[in-house]
Amino acid sequence: MLTGINRLGDLEWEVPIGYVPDMRVPGRFFLSRALAETLEEGAVRQLANVATLPGIVKNSLAMPDIHWGYGFPIGGVAAFDMTEGVISPGGVGFDINCGVRLITTPLTEADLAGKKRELIERLFDAVPTGVGAKSTMRVSNKELTGVMVDGARWAVERGLGTEADLARCEGEGAMPGADPEAVSAKARQRGVPQLGTLGAGNHFLEVQVAREIVDPEAAKAFGVTEGQVCFMVHCGSRGLGHQVATDHLRALEGALAKYGIRLPDRQLACAPIASPEGRAYYGGMVCAANYAWANRQVIMHETRKVFANLFGIDYDEMRLIYDVAHNVAKFERHDVDGASTEVCVHRKGATRAFGPGAPGIPREYAAVGQPVIIPGSMGTSSFLLRGTATAMQKTWGSTCHGSGRVLSRTKAKKEVCGKELREHLAGEGILVRAHSDSALAEEAPEAYKPSREVVRVVHEAGLSNIVARLEPLGVIKG
Amino acid sequence: MSFEELEHTADVLMRVRGATINEIFADAGRAMFHVMYGPCEDRGIERRLSLEADNLESLLIDYLSELLFITEVENTVFCTFDIDVRGNRLSAVLRGEPFDPARHSGGTIVKGISYFGLEIVKEEEGYVVEIIFDI
Repeated sequence: MLTGINRLGDLEWEVPIGYVPDMRVPGRFFLSRALAETLEEGAVRQLANVATLPGIVKNSLAMPDIHWGYGFPIGGVAAFDMTEGVISPGGVGFDINCGVRLITTPLTEADLAGKKRELIERLFDAVPTGVGAKSTMRVSNKELTGVMVDGARWAVERGLGTEADLARCEGEGAMPGADPEAVSAKARQRGVPQLGTLGAGNHFLEVQVAREIVDPEAAKAFGVTEGQVCFMVHCGSRGLGHQVATDHLRALEGALAKYGIRLPDRQLACAPIASPEGRAYYGGMVCAANYAWANRQVIMHETRKVFANLFGIDYDEMRLIYDVAHNVAKFERHDVDGASTEVCVHRKGATRAFGPGAPGIPREYAAVGQPVIIPGSMGTSSFLLRGTATAMQKTWGSTCHGSGRVLSRTKAKKEVCGKELREHLAGEGILVRAHSDSALAEEAPEAYKPSREVVRVVHEAGLSNIVARLEPLGVIKG
Repeated sequence: MSFEELEHTADVLMRVRGATINEIFADAGRAMFHVMYGPCEDRGIERRLSLEADNLESLLIDYLSELLFITEVENTVFCTFDIDVRGNRLSAVLRGEPFDPARHSGGTIVKGISYFGLEIVKEEEGYVVEIIFDI
């Protein structure tokens, strides 16, 4: 157990001012005693480092999937005052708007019998994945501007989805404030050939079954029933987002002296929100975030086509439940000392979890709160949850984003054989398709915290409530 | 000249040692391409690169970031890195081969180079640097 931190309750911990020099506010994180066993000192230090940033409001926060990253810890959440505060790419990450969407189908597990292998192979052919993957779409530089401004709407207007899809995305699939001028020619060059590609690492397209309904009322509102086949898309803004982050991190790092900002970690490079550098990063980040929403929209479209052709179901019968971002900075209104105040909320490996009645969530979900989608690690359960009023009060309406790693990739590769893992999962009825077995080993289930435990913590802490548990049937691995 | 992967839960942490700064830069490039693609051969592709930065650490990050850009948009995989660093200027000659999904799919995408903890340290017999690749 780490020293120098205080336990505030069963699931809440405090990192007091003074844990590292120059902290302006305390740190606070949510973790069970079992998960605390694997907590790294480096992650706590990063949480404390965030508390040194100018204009931070209330607390530097972390969700129960907290682990050691760079800049902010993964699972980190922090809000900044719009006048005194800063914006930092280190609070968003290189994969801007990495996120998840969940779609239901009218099929049951029995409908997949005898066709699952073919389904997985067809999906693998339809959605470019892995290192070096290129899109089959032809997008001009001019069209790319449209993608960066309009996000998922750009795809829907080209027939790659329906108007109803847009209402069921965080921010309707696009953030306002896109500034294409803040996106370099290099970022554009990387973005043009990659729209509709999954990427690599922990990104995936997964066919799932809703195995357990925990909250029937919310499940009804979200349109998911027990035994229903669903699919989930997890990916981000690809090379375009990586380049936007790289370019602006460099620019902000060079501007630190200009604004008299001293940092414990250069990866926290930042600038005042209203400064030219801060505005440029925000405008570029929004472009990348919108690209990511379009990217997930295109992948969903291709997946719907495969399902429709193979099972003879209608495209419109595959209903998007919701699409959430888990790497982004947004201007949101929250209660600060009793007053509704605009702040800049950074979520790095954390999901927005707005509660019932909160502005900005689809009307059809207003009574239950926004859907929150938490992907499991490969071969393990994923969860559908709903946002809560408690999250609005304690975490700027935020919750966890996934399981969080506990094993390095080197250790995972030493301890797990990719081929054996693939065969083991196949024995459990989970078909995994990837370009290489070695990439599978790195994403083995034992490399991650158990998703059930992470989700249990956010449920019991009240940061979001479990609605349904989904089990994997087949995975296209990035 | 050497690089070794250290334990890091989320990303890839590489320790690179070299007798000279040129070796550090060459092996940092080699380490990154190893993470992304696995084995690579020189099959006649040559690419030149020149960069300048305010300090050596920024130069190293700019150089690795530029390699990420080049490999992605030019579909090339590099295996040898002839580096000439003078002051805060770098000239490089990179050699390698076209990306081949059949042979280069054993690795993972590097999304970015982290500034976290990146410092080129002078030791008795050369230099050492630890670099976090976000994957």
